[in-house]
Amino acid sequence: MKFFIDNLPIIFPYDRIYPEQYAYMCDLKRTLDATGHCVLEMPSGTGKTVSLLSLIVSYQQFYPTKRKLIYCSRTVPEIEKALSELKRLMDYRIACAETEEEKRKEKNFTGLGLTSRKNLCIHPDVSKEKKGKVVDARCRDMTNSAVCEKGRANPGSVELCDFHEKLGEKEPGNLIPTGIHTLADVLQYGKENGTCPYFTVRRMMPFVDVVIYSFHYLLDPKVAEQVSKEMSKDAIVVFDEAHNIDNVCIESLSVDLTRPMLDSAGRSVTKLSEKIDEIKRTDASKLQDEYAKLVEGLQEASDARDEDAFMANPVLPDDLLKEAIPGNIRKAEHFVAFLTRFVEYLKTRMRVLHVVAETPLSFLQHLKDITYIERRPLRFCAERLQSLVRTLEISRIDEFSSLQKVAAFATLVATYEKGFLLILEPFETENATVPNPIFHFVCLDPAIAIKPVFERFSSVVITSGTISPLDMYPKMLQFTPVVQETYPMTLTRNAFLPLIITRGSDQVAISSRFEVRNDPAVVRNFGSILVEYSKIVPDGIVAFFPSYLYMESIVAAWNDMGILNEVWKHKLIFVETPDANETSIALENYRRACNNGRGAVLLSVARGKVAEGIDFDHNYGRAVIMFGVPYQYTESRILKARLEYLRDAYRIRESEFLGFDAIRNAAQCVGRVLRGKTDWGLMVFADKRFARADKRSKLPQWIQQYITETTSNLSTDMALTLSKLFMRTISQNPNENQTGISLWTLEDIEKAQAKQKEMALEAELRQQDERMEKDEEYGDGGIDDQALGEIDLDI
Amino acid sequence: MPPRQADDYADESDSDIDILEDSGNRSKKGKGKAIDRSKKDKGKGKSSEQPYAWEASYTRSWDTVQEDEAGSLTTAVADLLARNRRRRLLAPADAIRRTIIRHLIIILDLSLSMLDRDMRPTRFDLSLEYAREFIVEWFDQNPLGQIGLVGMRAGLGERLSEMSGNPQDVLKAISERHRLEPAGEPSLQNAIEMARGSMGHLPTHSSREILIIFGSLTTVDPGNILETLERCVQDRIRVSVVALAAEMKVCREFCDKTGGQFGVAMNEGHFKDLLFELIPPPAQRALSRAAGAGANKPDADLMMMGFPVRLPDTSPPALCVCHSELKSEGFLCPRCSAKVCDVPTDCDICGLMIVSSPHLARSYHHLFPVKPYQAVTTLEEGSAFAKSCHACARSFPDAPLASSTATAEGMSPIGRYRCPDCQHDFCTECDVFIHDVVHCCPGCGK
Repeated sequence: MKFFIDNLPIIFPYDRIYPEQYAYMCDLKRTLDATGHCVLEMPSGTGKTVSLLSLIVSYQQFYPTKRKLIYCSRTVPEIEKALSELKRLMDYRIACAETEEEKRKEKNFTGLGLTSRKNLCIHPDVSKEKKGKVVDARCRDMTNSAVCEKGRANPGSVELCDFHEKLGEKEPGNLIPTGIHTLADVLQYGKENGTCPYFTVRRMMPFVDVVIYSFHYLLDPKVAEQVSKEMSKDAIVVFDEAHNIDNVCIESLSVDLTRPMLDSAGRSVTKLSEKIDEIKRTDASKLQDEYAKLVEGLQEASDARDEDAFMANPVLPDDLLKEAIPGNIRKAEHFVAFLTRFVEYLKTRMRVLHVVAETPLSFLQHLKDITYIERRPLRFCAERLQSLVRTLEISRIDEFSSLQKVAAFATLVATYEKGFLLILEPFETENATVPNPIFHFVCLDPAIAIKPVFERFSSVVITSGTISPLDMYPKMLQFTPVVQETYPMTLTRNAFLPLIITRGSDQVAISSRFEVRNDPAVVRNFGSILVEYSKIVPDGIVAFFPSYLYMESIVAAWNDMGILNEVWKHKLIFVETPDANETSIALENYRRACNNGRGAVLLSVARGKVAEGIDFDHNYGRAVIMFGVPYQYTESRILKARLEYLRDAYRIRESEFLGFDAIRNAAQCVGRVLRGKTDWGLMVFADKRFARADKRSKLPQWIQQYITETTSNLSTDMALTLSKLFMRTISQNPNENQTGISLWTLEDIEKAQAKQKEMALEAELRQQDERMEKDEEYGDGGIDDQALGEIDLDI
Repeated sequence: MPPRQADDYADESDSDIDILEDSGNRSKKGKGKAIDRSKKDKGKGKSSEQPYAWEASYTRSWDTVQEDEAGSLTTAVADLLARNRRRRLLAPADAIRRTIIRHLIIILDLSLSMLDRDMRPTRFDLSLEYAREFIVEWFDQNPLGQIGLVGMRAGLGERLSEMSGNPQDVLKAISERHRLEPAGEPSLQNAIEMARGSMGHLPTHSSREILIIFGSLTTVDPGNILETLERCVQDRIRVSVVALAAEMKVCREFCDKTGGQFGVAMNEGHFKDLLFELIPPPAQRALSRAAGAGANKPDADLMMMGFPVRLPDTSPPALCVCHSELKSEGFLCPRCSAKVCDVPTDCDICGLMIVSSPHLARSYHHLFPVKPYQAVTTLEEGSAFAKSCHACARSFPDAPLASSTATAEGMSPIGRYRCPDCQHDFCTECDVFIHDVVHCCPGCGK
């Protein structure tokens, strides 16, 4: 259907639209008009992606200044889903177009998705590799420009990738026909035409209207440098499923070093020096050239050959890029010696048997005292290594990944003074005796990684199903949104029932608080919740625990108490483990049990794989039980450092952040069951702390609106009675027509728009009246606020 | 017996009324039913005490009714009653082909979950009671049909009674409560396979139906239940489920794919409504669609039936072929002259279907239910209006009822319902009585 928001014609690929989708689009448009950033929360399963795409594409097509859309999603399946949604939308737009010219315009609209080489490679040998890193390295060996030149000059001397070669013959910017291509389409096209899908997408990036890829391509500075450099400034950036965006930012700037990694880095350095010796003997001029280049400056050295994407430096301040590489590491052998010293220094640091936490500044000071390594050359470490590797034409760079990490670490530590911390943990766990040191270089401030994005692009949209409380994100990421909105869910019937269980049937308060979590009464009450719900809920139940550790201990206790045997009578039990393969087998069987009526319980962990990416729609999740509040492990030194930083830098209190983080994870977990308006499910929060107003108010609006006073403080048996009743009611055959209430047709939209206009008019009139009244009341001669303030001061 | 039976049903089917008129209803039930019922009631009262009060949620019966101007609840109650009754009559009345000869297997859940007391006295007792009423009513409206019983207990399917056309045989199988004591987990697959096995030989002109009364939320199956579903679809067995707890995906799928009905009982009254909705013969639509174009014959199939000779009580005793008992009364098969005890049945010797003509007539009668009466909305339609109900001769109210709730669809504000054929007016009570119990319009005799 087609309708107008203000003057913008929107083409929406369905006949009906949800009211919240309409509201969402209106707010999105406001953001784009204002060229600002926004935070939007819309319940899962209400068609967020399609409304986003539909509005932005309409916007792009309507205004002559074609703003590119960069759509970031979290996982490959989600990217694929968004692409197929976009494809559907464009098909619909083409069908809708009235004139021939418009049709052509729609057909010229191009959208592509980018993912790693591993997913896109069609080379017969390389694509068989299992590890992403190996695929990357082997691909680079066959496609980097030095090899290509050699191969072209002297065919057969080196192995080249035919698919990549074939791509080179094509005219750039016209590597694939216009239109929307899903990842599968690109692969198919590549196979048919014998061209490399990965480089097709990479090279088409500047020419397409929509790019869909994962968060890292934009946030991780090492990757962003390569991939997202050419994106124009007026592009619209969308982060979907962005509830964890701060963690992604932090991870992208944090480096962990271990002993084996350092050893491997040491070996790589030796290899480098051997290679240098060899080159010196055979082709000394090469090194000379490089030296000359480095003298000229860094800027020229890194020309825009995208195949040579090996290691880019993390975000360097702009002035640094213009500087030349300092003299003491310009010569290859000097640089290698420099690296050797640095790696050795790190190794000695690792020998310490007590925990060390220090700022980058004190680390650098210590480094200087011991090894006389200055800060400036350290900064260029990553850059210099990249240049050297390029000069030496080293193949199989994946073997150098540890060294690459060390270099990145060196650059980061020398670049940032604030917002980072170095933590050395000699032991893995509290009571381990064998040292297994890890050197964490942690980023404490998510704003650092995302800052370039906000600065560069005029409109950044952050959206998710669970992103409450909304004001936390602007605070943490340091930006000012123009629109900040959360939408309720309109439903014709209450499709889900959130229940907060605060005590067991025996009236003992239940909580996963550390002091009481292993109390037998609490464990038993948690168990009885599971048993009772497994009796009354059909098909699938998903239960979430705060951590693996707690899950293990409580499941062991349940086994001893015979609670598991009781559950077994009604449902099968599956458990999520840290092992991905094991979990996926468990999930598969869980689904089977849900389908054939046996019923199953899945025990999993908040923040785990299941909680983040797996949907439990319809019969796969009729109830989700949150056992306890999923707080982070507060004894972790990294978390402590981060909390401290947040307090000092942004005035976010520790408890506030911890509460926010726990509740957003809880919301994320319970949100797994409701994936659409025809779906239904129970949401059980089993912890007395959920009943507190400060926790409840942090839940997303659409969950909060269904938590009534009666359901916010229940004992187990009361909750069961309510659940039973709910399940009977919801199982009645739904026959009501949703149109008009939670589904709008075109007329409904127009009606709503007319009403809105009326209200706006009224409000304006009222405002005018008020203003007049005010004028009358205060008249002239009143003192304005500022003057009053000054008077106070004078006194 | 039929009218009394139905009278009883009309009394209790509505849960709202149950709450309000509890005491009155109880005594009526005792009177209306045979004595054995009241005895059983007492027995139940002893064996299973009422659930604790706090386990139940509030029955906010006062919220559903509103007082009229005079402060009386009677009009509101009458409205509720009437609306519920009318709703059932609003079903589409287009011509559909219905099955006369029905074969139904009732699968009773006898698992431990049936001991749950969320339906009083327990799910188990209640479903047994309703099953009995259902069987009686079913045979009343489908005299040519046959019912078999299967129980699901401890992971097995148990045959409680063979397929039989005699209501007494079927009722006897579930009359003894202690033999059906619930145990273990149910197995849908086993029970359905057993039911399917006993219907495999049936001729194509008869319907094959399975009704599952399901209280559990799990099923322990030896194999893949989805294969059983495929086979049911192939055999054109219609599976209907009345669930007592919540919607299970498999159950819903069974009903959707085989063309049956799925319902979840909200409360006792709704449970009964759901069951009794399955009594009228199902339309044959789904069946012919499943059979494809080849079987899509518009005209009726001919089938062989025999009308037996009835032997008087004074005839010399002889062995019957069905039970091998020495009896004097019975029926003689017109083809092979074998002696059978009861009709309708299939002759054990030659396989001929033996029916008595009243059975056939009764079935035929139920194939054409009384047309739904139209609600008369206004008095100003020109024609003369009868002063009183054509059936009970009670006079109609002159002015429309003041209550605003009466404007619901299919409701007449002045309490008049008119037969589309004979144009006689009837009051609300008679309308319901005629459609639910009499199955014959007093005005036109159809």
